[in-house]
Amino acid sequence: MKVLELKNVNKIYDGSEVHVHAVNNVTLEFQEAEFAAIVGPSGSGKTTLLNLIGGLDMPTSGKIIIDGSDLSGLKSSQLIDFRMRNIGFVFQAYNLIPVLTAKENVEFIMNLQKWSRKERDERTFELLKAVGLGDRMNSRPSKLSGGQQQRVAVARALASRPKFVLADEPTANLDSKSATTLLEIMEKLNHEEKITFIFSTHDARVVKMAHRVITLEDGSVVSDDIRE
Amino acid sequence: MSNYKIAWRNLWRNKRRTLITVASVFFAIFFALIMRSLQLGTYDHMFRNAIESYTGYLQIQHEDFWDNKIVDNTFSYTPELDQAIMSLENVTGTVPRFESFALASSGALTKGVLVMGVDPEKESLLSDIRGKLVKYKLNDNNIEALKNSEIPQETKKNLEIFRGNSYSSNSSLAIDFNIPDKDSSSILEIFRKYASFRNGYIKSGEPGVLIGDKLALYLKAGIGDTIVLLGQGYHGTTAAGKYRINGIVKLPAPDLDNKIVYLPYDVCQELYDAPGMLTSLAISIRENGDKKINSMIPEIRSKLDPQLKVMGWQEMNKLMINQMDADSKSGMIMIFILYLVIAFGVFGTVLMMTAERRREFGVLVAIGMQKSKLATVVTLEMILMGILGIASGIIAALPVIFYGYSHPIRFHGEMAKMYEDYGMEAIMPFLLPDMYILWQAIVVAIIVLIALVYPLRKITKMQVVDSLKA
Ligand SMILES: Nc1ncnc2c1ncn2[C@@H]1O[C@H](COP(=O)(O)OP(=O)(O)OP(=O)(O)O)[C@@H](O)[C@H]1O
Ligand SMILES: [Mg+2]
Repeated sequence: MKVLELKNVNKIYDGSEVHVHAVNNVTLEFQEAEFAAIVGPSGSGKTTLLNLIGGLDMPTSGKIIIDGSDLSGLKSSQLIDFRMRNIGFVFQAYNLIPVLTAKENVEFIMNLQKWSRKERDERTFELLKAVGLGDRMNSRPSKLSGGQQQRVAVARALASRPKFVLADEPTANLDSKSATTLLEIMEKLNHEEKITFIFSTHDARVVKMAHRVITLEDGSVVSDDIRE
Repeated sequence: MSNYKIAWRNLWRNKRRTLITVASVFFAIFFALIMRSLQLGTYDHMFRNAIESYTGYLQIQHEDFWDNKIVDNTFSYTPELDQAIMSLENVTGTVPRFESFALASSGALTKGVLVMGVDPEKESLLSDIRGKLVKYKLNDNNIEALKNSEIPQETKKNLEIFRGNSYSSNSSLAIDFNIPDKDSSSILEIFRKYASFRNGYIKSGEPGVLIGDKLALYLKAGIGDTIVLLGQGYHGTTAAGKYRINGIVKLPAPDLDNKIVYLPYDVCQELYDAPGMLTSLAISIRENGDKKINSMIPEIRSKLDPQLKVMGWQEMNKLMINQMDADSKSGMIMIFILYLVIAFGVFGTVLMMTAERRREFGVLVAIGMQKSKLATVVTLEMILMGILGIASGIIAALPVIFYGYSHPIRFHGEMAKMYEDYGMEAIMPFLLPDMYILWQAIVVAIIVLIALVYPLRKITKMQVVDSLKA
């Protein structure tokens, strides 16, 4: 099943001093339960592309269709709502709300979606256990390592069963062991939950674990390999 | 996780900063309230003194008397007039007065005095002259006796400070000598034994007077002595009379205490050769709010002869009101400066908080928190901080105000003399909590709300992509 479709998407930064074609005529499709990496040199447009897909930024032209609906038709508050229901996010760092515990961070979106307490507790416990932090539920982010924080962020991104999860360089701030652990957890959850992951990375070992690798250069897709 | 709970935790993520901000609000509120309470309390006290011992809330006078206080500007006090006034709603009594100036002499000493002809009984509706009769006197003999008495050492130490003072009530004595409530009856008993002052009173038709404590001191006159009053009577006659001093009164306003002579008004009419005439008829009333008084003025006026007029206390104390107004404004400027300082403190906190959390705000909106909800959380944080500061400031100020109300600050020595030179009693009472508390709280609340504008604007205008880069 198709969860996401990009049709001739362009993003041009046209300021008084700069004119950058950050995303150049990108057309892509993602199916349910994909585990896809976006790679490319620095400045090739990975972050820009992920921001467009996540509805954090608007394309200059082209269409982004998620689960059948076109993002460009939404008002900003509707867009926020849409993100809450359909998209999970993992950022490079400082993902978590510092005053909330691991459990409360994971629950956050379920709370926004008004899940019942019982559902929330079950889902949170299940996810934190899955990311290996079942015993750190009540720790605040400042008491967790960088790798642990990213795992909580992955749990949070998955909490309300979004259509897909976007992760812009989730391992960039991690040592290689933590990076591999995080990727293994992401892969496992991708498999168990049947939720699509799209992540950008510079890390060759991370790229190796992806099932699909999309390569960008100067904003254009130069290759799109699906591996088994 | 409720908005409230998140806001509360956010408040404490930078404990020191929050505490400093709350403390600055606390001190501003605390000092503003104490200052305001003292200031308003002092005004209130002065008005009350002026009204209750002198002008009353309402007076009827001859239309020219206020500007030209001579015996010729008197009016005739008839039973019809009295009945007309008494029949009005809210009136509890009429208080006739005959007031003029005279020279008073006793022995070789002479002084200009204010002669107050009063009704010895009715006057109690307005100024409690009986309550102002001196009860204790700390003259040299009495102090000697007290020093050898069984009063506590602490109380003895104070005797020197208050040498020469007179007291018209147990409470003012107890305050000066710092006598704790539990010991007051035993200690006051000793004062009664060694420092009592025996006073008489005045009676209609009898040529006796009461004079102020300070005036008595000046004239070196005491109970049973005679004073001679000399003045100008009705239509240019000479007014002269000889009176026995029946009692000494201690008036709170020192400039009055220094020149007051009370005598029965019928005796006074005789002295000034103006039988049946009054300089003023004060009206005592039940409800004394400004609104009520202003509505009564035209009502009374309609019952009067055209050459009479009605004056309210505000009109009679206009000078004092203007002075207080000016003084009050200067006080408000002080408070304004105080608030300006804390406003900058609060703005600084808000600025830092917003800058620090830019990325966090971006993440929250990216993952699906509505900006309105984020704004609510930030608003709650600020409100909580404001409430903490305001409430703690009020809570800390209240006991001080209540204590200061029952134990007004009393000045001694040089400071007291300065006050008395200005004709004021040397005390600073507090005003009990009133609208002024609400006003201080509102002003601080407004400062906090203005400070909120900045983060709220930042949140509304935020571009998530930019915030995430921060
Ligand atoms: N707000 C902006 N205004 C102007 N140019 C921008 C803006 N954001 C990004 N760009 C430009 O768009 C291009 C793509 O940037 P992007 O951040 O998407 O690259 P990236 O592939 O994520 O790089 P990196 O691997 O370094 O993160 C770059 O040339 C960048 O300078
Ligand atoms: Mg990037």
